[in-house]
Amino acid sequence: MLLLGIETSCDETSAALVADGKVVLSNVIATQLDLLQKYGGVVPEIAARRHTELIGYVIKEALDKAGKTLADVEAVAVTARQGLIGCLLVGVAAAKSISYSLGIPLVGVHHIEGHIFASLLSNPRLHFPHLCLTVSGGHSMLLHVQDCCRYELLGTTLDDAAGEAFDKIAKFLNLGFPGGPVIDKLSTQGNSKAFRFPRPLLRANNLDFSFSGLKTSVINAFKDRLATGEALPQEDIAASFQEAVVDVLVAKTMRAVDGREVSAISVTGGVSANRRLRKVFQESCQKRGLGVFFPELSLCTDNAAMVAAAGYARLSRGEVSDLNLDVIPNSPLELQRGG
Amino acid sequence: MRVLGIDTSGYTNAIGVIDGEQVLADFAFEAKTDSLQKIVSHIDFALKSAGLTLEDIEGFGVGLGPGSWTGIRVGVTVGKMLAFSTAKPLSGVSTLEVLAYGAGDMVTPVCPIIDAGAGDTVYAAFYSARDGQICRNGDYYVGNIAGLSEMIKEPVTLLGSEAYHYRDLINSEIGTSGISIQAIATAPGGSAVAWLANRRLQQGDSDDVLSLTPLYLKESTARVFRNKYLAQER
Repeated sequence: MLLLGIETSCDETSAALVADGKVVLSNVIATQLDLLQKYGGVVPEIAARRHTELIGYVIKEALDKAGKTLADVEAVAVTARQGLIGCLLVGVAAAKSISYSLGIPLVGVHHIEGHIFASLLSNPRLHFPHLCLTVSGGHSMLLHVQDCCRYELLGTTLDDAAGEAFDKIAKFLNLGFPGGPVIDKLSTQGNSKAFRFPRPLLRANNLDFSFSGLKTSVINAFKDRLATGEALPQEDIAASFQEAVVDVLVAKTMRAVDGREVSAISVTGGVSANRRLRKVFQESCQKRGLGVFFPELSLCTDNAAMVAAAGYARLSRGEVSDLNLDVIPNSPLELQRGG
Repeated sequence: MRVLGIDTSGYTNAIGVIDGEQVLADFAFEAKTDSLQKIVSHIDFALKSAGLTLEDIEGFGVGLGPGSWTGIRVGVTVGKMLAFSTAKPLSGVSTLEVLAYGAGDMVTPVCPIIDAGAGDTVYAAFYSARDGQICRNGDYYVGNIAGLSEMIKEPVTLLGSEAYHYRDLINSEIGTSGISIQAIATAPGGSAVAWLANRRLQQGDSDDVLSLTPLYLKESTARVFRNKYLAQER
């Protein structure tokens, strides 16, 4: 079954063609990097305008790259839940129109469910149940993926998302936007033990995250040094900050494994592209005999292939959305729990 | 030519179906908050009422605004994707022109006014009939009622859902100048969108389905602030 996936929940306009929820024939992603750099972040109205300009081109390019026409498409999957409302709306309006025109099924997908499937799409050896840490600029969640489309939320961020902390620190250090890749790169030249930044909630008896205090701590350390006229080694600050985030993410995920019958961990979302995070996860999982899986790099950040894969899973369970599908900017993933 | 017209720039999902000169269906569904949710069902209802299916439609018309930014994006995206999926031509039309068309045979110039949703800011334009065609006189106007009032030098008929309200405001601005201001309360109609689109499509003139964008007429607030900031920097 050939699915057209559409994703416009934040600042990436994406369309993909995926066969049987497994084979990615095309995955076109138009980033709004120019706008992000200009405004230092996502401006919802500007992002929504850009989606409206790009959506048609992106869908056409996805078809062309896959060597398909609309007549070949058998169902449309679209991110309808979790994201910026004005942005989600453009993708859903497009998906509905295509579904109605072609008389093919429509299925609305939760954005986070897409990230869970990004890892499944990249790793045929990743099975259920497993733990999924999904970390990006918009969210940080630790999930128990019990079975296909059955999730339990174990922990989430209480303030900033992990990727958001990367972005804000990069912005503070004048390193540009987005912050993830640039801090990743800068950290390879720095000493991660130069600054001892806090590991928020590491000892708390829960699986939640908090990155706001860490961010403040980094900014204060920077300002203290500035005041005393000491050197400001950006590489060391970046590396020490990154190490604190990685420590917390890995430790909390490992703690979540205890008492649960899981043999594998999946790390997804934009932050899962971070090389230090991947390395530490690989080392920790190896020690404990756990499998660890990451999406391929093109599937880490927001993309429509993962949406098509999640949509295929939903369709296979007989779940179809009707033409009154609406967008929900804040929607718990648990609401989707089937079975 | 059978044309489907859509306008979601205001508080309604306006859908119309025409066949040449004949109106087959013309609905305006209240949709202040559920425009996206209902739009395709509304289109389906209008088509069924017209005794047609989507396959019978030979061209699409869509209201580009100005109006609610989020609202316009629903209609424009749906119009574009219906045209793309069915490989039929698309014509975008200004919602102000749609309102002007709705006034019928104009004796005096008309001035459709749409609330711009920020204080007393409005979108407006002046149209008059020449050789049976509606022609816009000058540029689109974005600004307050006082500024719009200064532009009124001859009798005019105001159009739009709040036409009477604006007539009172303008009358109090221009005082006793003796210029006669009429008002007709009207909302953009789907069949008017379809008719204006049909006129263009008949002449072989259509918009590029992929690149068509709404007529916002105003920059987003973030861009305005940024430009102000940059101007101060200089």
